[in-house]
Amino acid sequence: MVLKGEMSMLNALYVSDLDIKNLTTELTKKRDEAPQFFMQSPLIVDCNELGEKANDLDFNALKKALLELDFIPVGVRNVPKSITKDLSDNGWAIMRATQEKGDKKKAGVSSKGQSKKTPDPNAAVEVTQVEPTIDSVTVDRPVRSGQQIYAASADMTVLAPTSAGSEIMADGSIHVYGAIRGRVLAGARGNTSARIFCQSLEAELIAVAGRYQLLDESKTELKGKPAMVYLDGEKLVIEPLAK
Amino acid sequence: MSKVIVVTSGKGGVGKTTSSAAFAAGLAAKGHKTAVIDFDVGLRNLDLIMGVERRVVYDFVNVINGEATLKQALIKDKRVDNLYILPASQTRDKDALNKEGVESVINELKEDGFDYIVCDSPAGIERGAFMALYFADEAIIVTNPEVSSVRDSDRILGILQSRSKKAEEGGTIKEHLLITRYSPNRVEGGDMLSMDDIVEILSIPLIGVIPESGAVLQASNSGNPVILDTESTAGQAYSDVVDRFLGEEVALRFIDAEVEKKGFFKKLFG
Repeated sequence: MVLKGEMSMLNALYVSDLDIKNLTTELTKKRDEAPQFFMQSPLIVDCNELGEKANDLDFNALKKALLELDFIPVGVRNVPKSITKDLSDNGWAIMRATQEKGDKKKAGVSSKGQSKKTPDPNAAVEVTQVEPTIDSVTVDRPVRSGQQIYAASADMTVLAPTSAGSEIMADGSIHVYGAIRGRVLAGARGNTSARIFCQSLEAELIAVAGRYQLLDESKTELKGKPAMVYLDGEKLVIEPLAK
Repeated sequence: MSKVIVVTSGKGGVGKTTSSAAFAAGLAAKGHKTAVIDFDVGLRNLDLIMGVERRVVYDFVNVINGEATLKQALIKDKRVDNLYILPASQTRDKDALNKEGVESVINELKEDGFDYIVCDSPAGIERGAFMALYFADEAIIVTNPEVSSVRDSDRILGILQSRSKKAEEGGTIKEHLLITRYSPNRVEGGDMLSMDDIVEILSIPLIGVIPESGAVLQASNSGNPVILDTESTAGQAYSDVVDRFLGEEVALRFIDAEVEKKGFFKKLFG
């Protein structure tokens, strides 16, 4: 048996409202933007904005709602000490608090959104040790419309074109020796250093670590050309493959 | 060794039944014992195109349900030797098809010494289409030079590669692309996808291009497979398809835009 510290990417849900119905509606919207990306993804609940109000939050109902949305709630963060025992008895992990605790608390002002995905990837990352992805998946036939291929904890190499209406995803980078015409999502579990490489950029949607872009809305001049897509901070960058 | 060939497309109205009829008649005319099965239960058309609608007594579903023998249901074509038609039922729906039943009919045809069993698939990706492709060894993907047709063909290729019996057993179905209703002049004019575009998007080998032709409609209405109309461009193009399928090298025809024929005076004076 081996017990290792590992880096894992987690999404954090910043709760600012006790109304679970509201939160569910907002979160459903968010999730439906990239259902495959969020499906079965672990989630931690951050109660920083609630402060002492977190005492009144119905954590059981929240857990139920999150599970129904296909998230896996794993832990809580920034909760009042008084309820930590109750929470851990109910199967929540108590995560280390972030430094910004209390910063955002302003009486009388509530934030506009009930929930949001963490804006800063580092805020949601619990780094202990880096385990590089070493696996790779090779696809040697065209990926057809309606097909979905996911390379878990791996890079993906496709030796054929991918069709409009197809979807390929990898936790690592994606290399396509052909045209990409469907959806292409690299870093599906939040790996921000993942990249997309293709010989002809004709995709409907490209995404790295959850930051996505519809190609039609992009101003890039590289449509139909060899290109690479990567994440620079929060921004998706499309660059020519050969300079 | 008999071969099962599915003629499919995803999209409706692209020429699956016309192509199935022409292809089966062409194979039979070359001396191969061929059966063509209509999988479009509830919306049967193959019998019309083949001109045998008034000879249907028993159908595919009757055979599956054991209400008739295969011999009783098979209709022997009067124009082409070696050609048999197994019509679909018009009064049932696609739920009447099941894997076991379809498999037993196909196996019986194989035992009866049929060289080729052509399965005319219904449109869509539901039960009927799935049943038609499940037992296939090879597939002819019928596509019109039009984006939605190409997209649907792409989808059906995905299903062939993942859900057919061959795929489940780790093998692959041999795929052939057949472009129908091709109009070189309109391709030239830019309002139709070109042959090269379609081949590039679908990336499977091309077995033929059938030009848009009035002969097809005429043949359908009169119940004659268009391949028997040897005068028509469509009929000739289907003949080429059969030859290519049987391994001959035949150059593509009818794919270039017609140049406006110069009149006598124009020729004379340039």
